[in-house]
Amino acid sequence: MYLAEVKLSNIVKKQYSYKLKSYSSGFTSLIFIQMIAILFSFNGSSMMGGGSETFSYDVKYFTGSMILVFTMLWAFIVGILITTKAYRNDDYSFVTNQAASQYSNILFLLSACAFAGVTAFLSTHLFQLIAVFVLKDHSFMMQQLTVGEMLKGLCASYLYIFLLASIGYFAGMLIQFNRAFVFILPVVIFGLLILEGVVTGESTMLFKTGIFFGDETSFVLFAIKVIGVSSLFYAAASFLLRQMEVKA
Amino acid sequence: MNVVSCQGVMKRYGRGNALRNLSFTLAENSITGLIGRNGAGKTTLLSIIAGLQKQTSGEVRVFSENPFNNLKVSANTIFIHGNMTFPAAMTLSELLQTAGSFYHNWNNQLAERLLEYFSLDPSQNHNNLSKGMKSTFNMIVGLAARCPLTIFDEPTSGMDAGVRKDFYRALLKDYIASPRTIILSSHLLNEVEDILEDILLIKEGEKCLHMTVEDMKEYAIGISGPAAAVESWIAEREIIHQQTAGVNGTYAVVRNVFSEEGLERARLQGLEMTPVSADSLCMYLTSKTKGGIDHVFS
Amino acid sequence: MLLNLNSLTPIYIQIADWLENEILNASINVDEKIYSQYQLAEMFNINPATAAKGLNILADEQVLYKKRGLGMFVSSGAREIILEKRKNQKLSGMVKELAMEAVQLNVGEDELVTLIKDMHRKIKEDMK
Repeated sequence: MYLAEVKLSNIVKKQYSYKLKSYSSGFTSLIFIQMIAILFSFNGSSMMGGGSETFSYDVKYFTGSMILVFTMLWAFIVGILITTKAYRNDDYSFVTNQAASQYSNILFLLSACAFAGVTAFLSTHLFQLIAVFVLKDHSFMMQQLTVGEMLKGLCASYLYIFLLASIGYFAGMLIQFNRAFVFILPVVIFGLLILEGVVTGESTMLFKTGIFFGDETSFVLFAIKVIGVSSLFYAAASFLLRQMEVKA
Repeated sequence: MNVVSCQGVMKRYGRGNALRNLSFTLAENSITGLIGRNGAGKTTLLSIIAGLQKQTSGEVRVFSENPFNNLKVSANTIFIHGNMTFPAAMTLSELLQTAGSFYHNWNNQLAERLLEYFSLDPSQNHNNLSKGMKSTFNMIVGLAARCPLTIFDEPTSGMDAGVRKDFYRALLKDYIASPRTIILSSHLLNEVEDILEDILLIKEGEKCLHMTVEDMKEYAIGISGPAAAVESWIAEREIIHQQTAGVNGTYAVVRNVFSEEGLERARLQGLEMTPVSADSLCMYLTSKTKGGIDHVFS
Repeated sequence: MLLNLNSLTPIYIQIADWLENEILNASINVDEKIYSQYQLAEMFNINPATAAKGLNILADEQVLYKKRGLGMFVSSGAREIILEKRKNQKLSGMVKELAMEAVQLNVGEDELVTLIKDMHRKIKEDMK
């Protein structure tokens, strides 16, 4: 009897390309979500105005950050989605084991988020273009960025998107591990926020989390923080995955 | 060489035991039928062998390795079962292509010809197929993969009679063309027994019998005749099944341990001796009580 | 030919019987290769192991002989062995059944013999 010898890396590669093919509908939904985000962005994020007897003025701020927020939300949902039974069991219809599934999932999320980062970046520019077109009767100013700043922004958006995907992946795995987490997770998170508010008089947890990532002035440190925290989530997820079986 | 070996395998789900103290071995290049009633533990056993689930205790070896979470076992095993899922976004031909990339011995020509024979549209999506067509597609994947260990769990559910017959024929022909170890679970033994070499019969998670089909056909004998005569004949023997037949008549199934002369004497006493088919034997052995459904109404 | 898969006669016996018939009606001659277990399995849609069991019965009875690596061949005395066996086993078995049925029906010895003689004569005449 001849038995095929297989390498983990080889199977991870095959599972990864299998996943890219099978999640193709996820990318359509991403474009759709970004379109909606562009629409919402036209609302303007803030405005002020003033005037006198002879004239009045309005200043509106427009920002593309809505697109990034929506994309991050998408990444979070995709992270959850690929842990669901339907997707998890697809792996086991062909050759795999837990490690191969896990690594190919991470690879998939990395590339899905890269795609999402690029499209979010392009959407922002599309938004600017449309804005120029729509606001042609008004005078407008635009923030000018150097190529370096743009690249840095792109990378930062990518890291944010990936961070959310990692959180989604871990949350999804928790829920798959035990259904009760569907209720426990929101209760614990919101409960802690409220409790902190009640006990200390102000809620700073969410704010501090934002500071931890968002106030980092060194890009390298920021990247390390995101990658470190994501890795922690994946390690925890793989620990959970190891407790799970596939039901035939 | 043994492809599969189980030693005292137990699997617990919650409070109940799905498998208890199951020990057996399966030799290379044979077709074994895993037979048992619904809920006997067939799917659980196959999931453990295929490495999807882990036994609670006992030892399982597939290709001399522990199958759970084992990449080598996964690469050389294909497990076709009812809850098998494929991504909704992929067409049948894409799925075949993907399967080909995973399985070393994949026979694409066979897969495509079977797809055509069973009139499955390659550009269709898997989740648009009816239950019977899904089973047919899964079966095609299972055959074309030509894995050294090929497991089919109730492969024909939803298939119509014609397709079922074709499937068993295709399985046999491909087995002859490319011998491998095949496990086929079914609760319809009479449909599959001709192509089987061995039968592994399980009842409530325990092994009931494991022998060749031919031996199983000679394992038991049916005795029918006047109740009193049958009773005296089967007294102190292991009765597998007993039911009333006609007026004052009894039909009993016992182990076939009689000599030619013994059978001869029984015939002269007006008893009729008949062979018991493997299918009936399995049914009798796995029934809850010796009297069968009649017992409920008596 | 199709096997009677629902018959209570084991399939490997039916296979052996079928092969014997092939030899008796000279479809396969002495020293010719007989079907392999795989050919038989495919022809009759049965497991190759079952087919092999049928072949082995004939090999044990020296109707067939094995050539290493080549398969099984019809031995020179095959016809005689088969005819002899059928006479001894099949016929005597049938006679036994017949006699038992006769006893149950209270048919006397002479009456039974007459019945057999008549039938034998009739069949011989029909075959002419």
